[in-house]
Amino acid sequence: MAKVRALKCKECGAEYPVEPLHVCEFCFGPLEIVYDYEEIKKNISREKIEKGPKSLWRYIDLLPVDKATVGLSAGFTPLIKAENLGKLLGLNNLYIKDDSVNHPTLSFKDRVVAVALSKAKEFGFDTAACASTGNLANSVAAHAASAGMNCYVFIPSNLETNKIIGSLVFNPTVVAVDGNYDDVNRLSSEIANEFGWAFVNINVRPFYSEGSKTLAFEVAEQLGWKIPDVVVAPLASGSLYTKIWKGFNELQEVGLVEGNLPRMLGAQAEGCSPIYQALKEGRDFIKPVKPNTIAKSIAIGNPADGPYAVKVAKESRGDIQIATDEEVIEGIKLLAKTEGIFTETAGGTTIAVLKKFAQAGLIGKDEVVVAYITGNGYKTMEVLEGKLNKPIHIKPSLIEFKQKVIGEK
Amino acid sequence: MNSMKLKLIYPEEKIKEPILSKLCKTFDVDINIRKANVQEKVGWLELELIGKEEEIEKAINWLTDQGIDVSPIEGQVFVE
Repeated sequence: MAKVRALKCKECGAEYPVEPLHVCEFCFGPLEIVYDYEEIKKNISREKIEKGPKSLWRYIDLLPVDKATVGLSAGFTPLIKAENLGKLLGLNNLYIKDDSVNHPTLSFKDRVVAVALSKAKEFGFDTAACASTGNLANSVAAHAASAGMNCYVFIPSNLETNKIIGSLVFNPTVVAVDGNYDDVNRLSSEIANEFGWAFVNINVRPFYSEGSKTLAFEVAEQLGWKIPDVVVAPLASGSLYTKIWKGFNELQEVGLVEGNLPRMLGAQAEGCSPIYQALKEGRDFIKPVKPNTIAKSIAIGNPADGPYAVKVAKESRGDIQIATDEEVIEGIKLLAKTEGIFTETAGGTTIAVLKKFAQAGLIGKDEVVVAYITGNGYKTMEVLEGKLNKPIHIKPSLIEFKQKVIGEK
Repeated sequence: MNSMKLKLIYPEEKIKEPILSKLCKTFDVDINIRKANVQEKVGWLELELIGKEEEIEKAINWLTDQGIDVSPIEGQVFVE
């Protein structure tokens, strides 16, 4: 495959063949895909992309996959001009990239999993696996089902089963491990190294994470081949945030867009903010934390790409901010009532942090701002229990309707 | 022989203790340190732990009991 040259260690630069590897043998640094941009430049054009499929696969020239076989309709989600929210925040050019309607499982994970499992099939894997109870498990189980792959999902055993119905429906083998999250992590890592399975965020992670770049590609195309001035995105492992940055860099590299790169603003929940803390304390490494937040989909206490996210925040002249649980809920409600979009807690965190940056005057009123909404609120409705207006109860009487609802005397 | 790639993070109060030396004397494991950064307040090490499966498991449990944060080199694998 000419467009992909090798895998390369992000730390020491050692190069490896394009195989399901993820850690440098010498220094244990993570591996990343190296492309031959000169070669890609010869084949890529705005016109070719615009004629491509209405999915993330229209950018296959910048993805580490030869042929799309899994997740054919993932991506190409709406970019919405958020007039109402923009007015409220004093931003004239605010856009929402709405991955809450990604296909098939309503989160940005459909992008990364589509790329990971397409590559896994190219490598000849017949089994997909992940450790998750949320969006990632939903997406891996759904894509594995449609691709005819076996699927294993690992969870801690003390979890209520109703938490994983959204994954169980796709009929994966769910393994409930006696132990805490750390135990599940270590076991998953051991299994990935021993079994010939595609563990999406372990041994095929270099390919998996590349799927997030399409969040940058799509936004640029949807803005008329322009790079936004400011990006606001949630930070969990740090992978999405760093890959959005890589995506905009690549578009420039291959000559599809011109202009300045965006300032990357990141959002974490206060109850799990190891990347924010590393940035503020000027550390080049992450101190793991025990998550304590309602924003579970971004509550990663020991984020693998944390140090790289800190680097991107600095390099892009961006910043990272945090939101309390209350602010997260307010963020969800604000987006819903202004733009009619129901997001989950990660999106609530992003909107809360966007509001903070806007109110602090850190975003110019005419700057083009894109906030990434990565998941769907219908999956985690329990976080809003008791936080919303109650229905007005009336008898089936017109008089009562007029009195209690309309407020007539 | 099995091996596991791990990241160890030491809290401040453990930095001055010869934890890895004790580990190798207590369990039948070898260690191969690849990267480390030990400072006054915090220290971390990335290493390979080599030995029989059950010895590795015992060694990890012992490290955790000593208050060391032990995680796979991939960071946190589990996603909500």
